[in-house]
Amino acid sequence: MIERAERAIEPSLTQEMEITGEEIERRKAFLEFGDEDVERLMSMNELAQQYADSVIEAFYRHLLSFEEGRAFFPDPALLERVKRKQKAYFVRLTQGNYGPQYVEDRLRIGLLHERINLPTKLYLGMYNFYLRTVASYLLEAYPQDSKKAFGLFLSLLKLVFLDINLAIDTYIHKRERTLRLQQEAIREISTPVLQLRQGLLILPIIGVVDSLRALQLTEQLLRTIRSNRARVVVMDITGVPVVDSKVANHFIQTVEAARLMGATVILTGLSPAIARSLVSLGVDLSRIRTVGDLQGGIEEADHLLGYRVVKGEELDARARPA
Amino acid sequence: MAVAAETRVPIASEADIVAARQQVRALAAQVGFSPTDLVLIATAISEVARNIVQYARRGEITLSPIEQSNRRGILIIARDEGPGIPDLELAMQDGYSTGGGLGLGLPGARRLMDEFAITSEVGKGTTVTMKKWARPHG
Repeated sequence: MIERAERAIEPSLTQEMEITGEEIERRKAFLEFGDEDVERLMSMNELAQQYADSVIEAFYRHLLSFEEGRAFFPDPALLERVKRKQKAYFVRLTQGNYGPQYVEDRLRIGLLHERINLPTKLYLGMYNFYLRTVASYLLEAYPQDSKKAFGLFLSLLKLVFLDINLAIDTYIHKRERTLRLQQEAIREISTPVLQLRQGLLILPIIGVVDSLRALQLTEQLLRTIRSNRARVVVMDITGVPVVDSKVANHFIQTVEAARLMGATVILTGLSPAIARSLVSLGVDLSRIRTVGDLQGGIEEADHLLGYRVVKGEELDARARPA
Repeated sequence: MAVAAETRVPIASEADIVAARQQVRALAAQVGFSPTDLVLIATAISEVARNIVQYARRGEITLSPIEQSNRRGILIIARDEGPGIPDLELAMQDGYSTGGGLGLGLPGARRLMDEFAITSEVGKGTTVTMKKWARPHG
């Protein structure tokens, strides 16, 4: 009952992973999994029910004989629960109706395994163990008709490959999602706009500037210019390895937008190599104020804002009455 | 010193452009280019890779080390099967762009490299061939 309630709330994995009904059909077609396979699988149902217990028990004995396998089941209650689910799955393989709900269940199980970090080698090893065990049971069940046994086995093999594929897809899907989230997180933290003094912002840019990052960078800068009432921005690109015409164009547009907001941008940290490549490209940076390094840029910014940096002792000397 | 043979870089996204730059930097460093030249070559490959992504959506860049009468260099061939360029002369002019860019990509790449050739057929695709030779240094 609890499981059902959870299911209603979470978005379906088939949707999230874009495994539509058509996609399921395409996968089946590629495996040449047809109605006769469904029939053969269903004809094995009785056998499956009969042997589910012994197959699953044998598998977990095998799994637990490995150190790596034991690590996943420190809790006997968990082990029993997993075994029950595996027995149900084992029988489910022979119950027909391998449609969207079947696929959704497979994906959910795959995700569960991904979540506990079950290595794929154990996952695939499990399927291999099942197949080997089932093969020997089938030969036993049809001692006079090994051809029939083999036919049944091939149908099972198709379904198992469909299932393995779905399980691996959930692993890939989950990892890709993690990767995407990390990239977004890196983008968020990689464009800090810092206020150095009243009216002066520093924008250090490090790494690769792609279109998305350039857009975020510009937006964040413009927001900060407004909220901090900044008048000068020092944009340092010491950490940008290559500036091609597209990236240069991004920079020019950022500078223009900042200018419209009433802030002057000083570009610093152009390496000699980047300066040469910009000249070769023919990028017109004449409208952008550039200063060699970050220190020079801050000095220029202070000058524009009317600040003067004076050493403490000089100030003391001046304050002392003559 | 052994230099790697041809390297192929499939181009279909912005991430691939970054990959192409990294690959060409690594190869050019092996060939013996100066740090400044590495940046120039990386910029040139960036321009042609961007053109592929923007106009053809996908294509391929091959990188190979080359040698000719005692000098070493790098050969970059960028191929796509995109829409092609109807007027090459126009496309090679500074400031001409149909994609809203600065229009400096192809002419810029030509200036960054030592040799540059482009062939294109409308509906068939475009091939850019570029070479740069390492100057003895250090």
